[in-house]
Amino acid sequence: MGSEAPPPLPEWASEPCIMGIDEAGRGPVLGPMVYGCLYCALSYQKTLSTLSFADSKTLKEEKREELFENLKADESIGWGVDIIDPRELSDKMLRKNKINLNEISHESAMGLIRKALNLGVLLTEVYLDTVGDTEKYRVKLSERFPNIKFVVAKKADSLYAVVSGASIVAKVTRDRALRNWMPDETAELNRNFGSGYPGDPQTKVWLEDHKHSVFGFPSLVRFSWGTCMSYSKDFVEVLWESDATDEEERGKSSKRQKKLTSVGFTTVKERSEDIESSGKGRCKFFQARKLELLSQF
Amino acid sequence: MDGRDEGSSEMEAPIAVDLSRGSAAADLTGKVHQLPCCIKHDGPTPVSQYFKPKPTEMEVDGLKVEEAHFRGRKLHGTTVALPRGYSGFILGKKCHDQGNNGMNSQGWVTAATFEDITVWNHDAIPSKDDAFLRAFHWFTAANALHQTVTAEDLESACIDWELV
Repeated sequence: MGSEAPPPLPEWASEPCIMGIDEAGRGPVLGPMVYGCLYCALSYQKTLSTLSFADSKTLKEEKREELFENLKADESIGWGVDIIDPRELSDKMLRKNKINLNEISHESAMGLIRKALNLGVLLTEVYLDTVGDTEKYRVKLSERFPNIKFVVAKKADSLYAVVSGASIVAKVTRDRALRNWMPDETAELNRNFGSGYPGDPQTKVWLEDHKHSVFGFPSLVRFSWGTCMSYSKDFVEVLWESDATDEEERGKSSKRQKKLTSVGFTTVKERSEDIESSGKGRCKFFQARKLELLSQF
Repeated sequence: MDGRDEGSSEMEAPIAVDLSRGSAAADLTGKVHQLPCCIKHDGPTPVSQYFKPKPTEMEVDGLKVEEAHFRGRKLHGTTVALPRGYSGFILGKKCHDQGNNGMNSQGWVTAATFEDITVWNHDAIPSKDDAFLRAFHWFTAANALHQTVTAEDLESACIDWELV
């Protein structure tokens, strides 16, 4: 949990504890998504409410930083984060067997709970903001952790101090991660991303400045986001083998194929021939290895 | 490469492929990547600035697995050395004017060579059963097929004509 070596388990953690979980950075088109948690003994709940977290979104950045430092210094409070890299988001959401954002979120939250339990924290109640269907989420959580009472609610961060505390942990962690982002790319990049939200004018400018016809965007950007799709006219077309097989298997969805041709995509048949030699007309040995005779070139 | 041969249908000069490695030929060993996609673009692009393969702890069938990202997709790949006695060639077109009867003879020259290739998969960890890696089996098969046949080979493979 956090980035320091875990301290020895405090005494209060062996008493019944409550935890709040919240996220930051779900909506932006760039940067990590962060899940944060905050936990303390049930007996500490009242004190927690006085620590004036309020809604992290309404606080100024400096105030949030200050609150986070206070939280970390408070010996009666434990916290943890899961920083989900944008490359992981792009990867999971663009696979053949797609993992959607809600699933990723659920797994992250459950990971935080698991970590606390593994540390020996006696969690009895966990409060979370809703992600997807509220009741389905609550049931999923209860099935994974039968000894915990779950409260899943809309705007949980404004209802429960543990959740608003968690939201501060998540937000500050995300802001720092973005500020300290180390790009993989050695291409020229500036750091004026803005908030990263697709509607943010500064973010829009950053995307325009950093788009590339072949590579798309730096990997800070979430390629699975609709925002990226809208830049497709600026990118050269890339046809993936796994998409082609996917369509062959789905085969009869001509409706989808029509849509694709209308935006300039080629048909499935053309695709697989583009991508690989078919070894057509040759014996199995060559076909299986995609080898064809090139007598003229 | 595609099957089109612009121009050669109009003329009958043979097409020459020059595999000699001139001083201009670059060595692209370690820099050639086979991606699991078709990029509809031909031309230079800043690959080394954007495409950053990294080693992983994984090893499958003796193949060391690397990972990289392209257009948001995570790729898993492995670098295979070309078998002994073989090299990879990147050819560039060269057009010489023959002069006399105004006949052009087309040719290819070696622009670069490479001794290994990194093969990338999307949504699948590389394995020795991947089609591309199996393509190298051809070298073994070709050697066996084209080896000189000895009298002993003929004898041991001989069909008993009396039974046919």
